[in-house]
Amino acid sequence: MVRAMISMRGVEKYYVPDEPALAEVNVEIEAGEFVFLVGHSGSGKSTFIRLLQRELLPTRGQIIIAGQDIVRLKNWKVPYLRRNIGCVFQDFKLLPNKTSYENVAFALEVIGRSKHVIRTQVPEVLRLVGLEDKMESYPDELSGGEQQRVSIARAFVNRPPILLADEPTGNLDPATSLGIMSLFNRINKTGTTVLVATHDREMVDSMRKRVIALESGHIIRDQHRGVYGYGD
Amino acid sequence: MAINVGYFLRESVLNFRRNWVMSLGAVITIYLSLLLVGVSMVLGVIVSEIVQSVEDKVSIQIFLKDGAATEDVEALQGWLLADEMVDTVNYVSKEDALERFKEEMAGSPEIVENIRENPLPASLDVTLTDPRQVEEMVGKIKANETFLKICDRPDEPEESLKYGQQIVDRLFAFTRIIRLIGVVFVAMLAVVSLIFINNTIRLAIYSRRKEIGIMRLVGASNWFIRAPFLLEGVMQSLLGAALAILTIVAVQAAVLPRLQEAVLFLPVDIAAGMMIQLALVLVVAGVVIGLLGAGFALRRYLKV
Ligand SMILES: Nc1ncnc2c1ncn2[C@@H]1O[C@H](COP(=O)(O)OP(=O)(O)O)[C@@H](O)[C@H]1O
Ligand SMILES: [Mg+2]
Repeated sequence: MVRAMISMRGVEKYYVPDEPALAEVNVEIEAGEFVFLVGHSGSGKSTFIRLLQRELLPTRGQIIIAGQDIVRLKNWKVPYLRRNIGCVFQDFKLLPNKTSYENVAFALEVIGRSKHVIRTQVPEVLRLVGLEDKMESYPDELSGGEQQRVSIARAFVNRPPILLADEPTGNLDPATSLGIMSLFNRINKTGTTVLVATHDREMVDSMRKRVIALESGHIIRDQHRGVYGYGD
Repeated sequence: MAINVGYFLRESVLNFRRNWVMSLGAVITIYLSLLLVGVSMVLGVIVSEIVQSVEDKVSIQIFLKDGAATEDVEALQGWLLADEMVDTVNYVSKEDALERFKEEMAGSPEIVENIRENPLPASLDVTLTDPRQVEEMVGKIKANETFLKICDRPDEPEESLKYGQQIVDRLFAFTRIIRLIGVVFVAMLAVVSLIFINNTIRLAIYSRRKEIGIMRLVGASNWFIRAPFLLEGVMQSLLGAALAILTIVAVQAAVLPRLQEAVLFLPVDIAAGMMIQLALVLVVAGVVIGLLGAGFALRRYLKV
């Protein structure tokens, strides 16, 4: 039996008593999988992602990433967990006073990578996301799609085994979103496990990947080569 | 590591410039509190030198009756010397005492001329290793049988002793009050500096919250995130300490020689070694204040 890359067992998260944001979550995600996490707003997608980042601790249950129990992980070890998990968000989270190059370099700089590593890896990853011509541009000189590519480059520059994305196309038009999704697909092809939370129905339906559907914090469907859902 | 140091320094200087009003406030309060620490240390040294020079003069005089037997005097002298509180014992004969009196009274020859018979008693002058023990030693002497036998006024042995307990007491009380006031002021200023540093670091954290969020996201270690803020606190304090040291050195160079001229009889000198020690104390105190202030702010405002 292959060990799962991500394994959640009996996970529950309560922000307030009696109102579970997540409940009875049992999920196994193998290394190299591409998974969509779908559901209405408020169904618990962000909570799911933040639990994996260890931004949040579950109220109950076990979360194991690459064999490591992250619930019991010591606080000082959390940064080292996060170096292995790239994260992308709806609002890009770029630093406005830094160029594309500097934004990506910053992620390496602050985990103590050498200048040499930074000089070789940053242009390489920016080329991968298709921004070799925009390395010296500031975020406000880039379109939304381009900004999201910078943020993906930053998440992936350290070649993490896991990439998490929370509504990465939430602020983008359909054509641009398609480009972003195919970028995730390319990244997934390199062997990276990708988990994308979204409520972009067309996107999910067109990709035919594994789909985990959440409703009111419960998993209502977990389907390989799935679609967004029926009805609504 | 080389890139890290550069990074931290760059960040700290940037923060300082961004919140320069608060930073300046922090530097000034630290400067004032460290200056006060330094001045109290210098004053402390001068006062204790003065106390020392007065203490050197504090002795117990035991007046002996005329015609006391030499062996009794010697016995008392031996007994005193055997006591560990006693430093020296000096026998002053009637003639020596008169001689001394005449010298002191040289300004009033009419008094000296009128002395026919020698009215002064012989005495034993006792100095102690620790002048604060005068009272205790006096008690012991009063209980000594030889003393009672040969003292100048056996009916009232108390009157045969002269000592400077009161001077010593008053000096010690004075220095204690000075020290207490110094400690209270320094503590108050230290608290104010801590509040200032705490505030500058809070602002620095606030103005860099985006960067901090991203650092956390990409897995910068907790100490990497905290270091620039701690460094900033320490830099502010070191700046304050440097200013305080410069001020003290300058004031010392300008004022001390004049002070010495004004009060010739007292020692108001500060050794170079003392100044180095003082500078060290201020630098260390500064670093501690800086780390504490920044540490408080990090605990309260920076979740890592
Ligand atoms: N910090 C929080 N405090 C209290 N309730 C929260 C918090 N974050 C999310 N919730 C609640 O948890 C539920 C799931 O939210 P979330 O995970 O953000 O859903 P989604 O990302 O699918 O929109 C919602 O009902 C939301 O109101
Ligand atoms: Mg959400």
